[in-house]
Amino acid sequence: MTGRHSRFARLCLIACLYFGAHAAHAEPYLAVQFGLKCNACHVNPTGGGLRSTFGDVLAQTVIPNAHLDTGMDNWNGSLLNNYLRVGGDLRFDAQVTQEPHTPSNQEFSLEQTRVYLEANVIPDRLLAYVDEQVAPGGALNREAYVLYWSASHDWYLKAGQMYLPFGLRLQDQTAFIQTASGINMTTPDQGVEFGWERGHWDAQLAVSNGTAGGAVTSDGKQYSLNVAYVESIWRFGVAANNNDQSAGAKTAFAVFGGLRTGPISWLAQAEVTDDKSVANDQGRELATLLEANWLIARGHNLKITGEFLNPDRAVPNGEETRWSIVYELTPIQFAQIRTGFRWLDGIPQDPAEHSRLYFIELHGYF
Amino acid sequence: MQIERKTICATLLSLVCVAGCAGNGVGLDQNGQPITAGDMTGGPIQPTLESIEENVFAPICAKCHIGASAPEGLQLDTAAHAYNFLVGVPSAEEPSFQRVNPGNPDLSYMILKIEGASGIEGGQMPLGETPLPQATIDAIRQWVTNGAPNVPGAAAASEVFAVQATAPVDKATVNAPLARILVTFTQEVDASLINDSTVSLERMGDSDLDPDAAVTAESGEKIAAVGALAEHNAAVLLITPNKSLDPGVYRVSIRGTGGGAVANLSAGPLGSDASFVFTVEPAQ
Repeated sequence: MTGRHSRFARLCLIACLYFGAHAAHAEPYLAVQFGLKCNACHVNPTGGGLRSTFGDVLAQTVIPNAHLDTGMDNWNGSLLNNYLRVGGDLRFDAQVTQEPHTPSNQEFSLEQTRVYLEANVIPDRLLAYVDEQVAPGGALNREAYVLYWSASHDWYLKAGQMYLPFGLRLQDQTAFIQTASGINMTTPDQGVEFGWERGHWDAQLAVSNGTAGGAVTSDGKQYSLNVAYVESIWRFGVAANNNDQSAGAKTAFAVFGGLRTGPISWLAQAEVTDDKSVANDQGRELATLLEANWLIARGHNLKITGEFLNPDRAVPNGEETRWSIVYELTPIQFAQIRTGFRWLDGIPQDPAEHSRLYFIELHGYF
Repeated sequence: MQIERKTICATLLSLVCVAGCAGNGVGLDQNGQPITAGDMTGGPIQPTLESIEENVFAPICAKCHIGASAPEGLQLDTAAHAYNFLVGVPSAEEPSFQRVNPGNPDLSYMILKIEGASGIEGGQMPLGETPLPQATIDAIRQWVTNGAPNVPGAAAASEVFAVQATAPVDKATVNAPLARILVTFTQEVDASLINDSTVSLERMGDSDLDPDAAVTAESGEKIAAVGALAEHNAAVLLITPNKSLDPGVYRVSIRGTGGGAVANLSAGPLGSDASFVFTVEPAQ
């Protein structure tokens, strides 16, 4: 066996041993597939953003169809003897959007380029973290916080600007369950978060300004609670959120879960919202999602998603559905090609609720 | 822990049932709102301020854009507020753009924000929610292209000439820096009467000063500022300090009595002096 091959084998062995000993992970379907929590592969205990050292190993060994041997040590983002770690994410799309009675729109689109930086001020205990979107447009800070871990890593305290914990943190920010609650990766907020990561439990409580990072002009705060029980093949969780703002409080409740049945990883979430700031009591929504991720072969994932939205529970006949079929090919480490289409179905009088989106995306990450 | 397969299947089946099908839209308008007797907008959204206010601004935008906490001071809860806070008013995020530049949708920052155009500050509106349907955006664009007309008869309906709204609102707290103050009126204002003797801006004290004390105080430190009516909207007074306001409590006074008082185009004065105070806090 050559040196390069033995290095790769060693990485695989590390990953396999880790899977045998832990329970948790990243894109939520991957977390379900491997039976891990988000913090196994991400610096952020609630998922998303910079991968941990283990997450980097996973991204190079287990997830891609093939490991492209570079002849060098594998990337782990480490600088200055692991005191600093860096990472990034780029998504570039070519897409076609069709809508009845409207000429189709075809475009190339740089969806995002993000840079992550982690400073391990006190290794394993205290870190500072920044997630910055650098393109398209001007720089946009997504997350910036300090995080203190207990010695046992049973709990942590986070303070700064952060994504709020609420149910499944999907990659698709336009999913109904992301837009109904208004809590997603485009609306980070400033506040503090306490996390409890003991055993099978994965829980967070956050208190934030409730302004999605904007200016604060009232004393109202947003409270986010997320509790999940994680087993190796299933998980179940509940989430609650209350945003008390002067225009009226918005509350949201969700139940969510995951299940692995052979090569298929299932995700599901149902949530209800009640937004008192909307006139005539029209702010009560219901959104659900059911998603199947079929691991056809290593590096090949087929994602089928069905979604439902009732934009006003007091008004009949206004429901919307959204279906997606996405094929994800990860041929080599850190590179992915995603292609698929999404179609909306809603009330006949609104053409926008009958749109079709076809896309192919190049996704690079490290 | 074991879970029976039947339980799993039943749960998944339940979720699929919950998902159901799309609505047939019976009894709803294009925006999914119930059609009621006398509904002005029983059909698709129209390129008029009334229709846009009823279908977009009030039900969607005014979730946030209302009252003292309205982002960037932009209030959209009524058609009167929407008109005066949008038309001819420079954007707080990109002051080189007007929020609505009548006749020029591509130069209207509101249009860029709802379209999610590249180069905008912050996120696409409505923030964190599904973007507006293209048909709705098209209607708003058309309203701007048409010159962004006010609600027909709006001026005539305002029988009393008075201060309508301010940004910041009275006794509100905003974050530094604050580059511009808005005062909107119920009727168009005689531009020749806007000067240092009728409009003044004073710093009353540090940001921990009780605003009520600032209201009753005789005078404060005068702040150099330029008062002018908005380019396309003579019912909006823009007060632009020579430099952004630092933290502190400020008072704006408008003289509505005596010779040369602020008056409408019919030479009708306000009839009483008006003032409001606000607190600028350090940037967060």
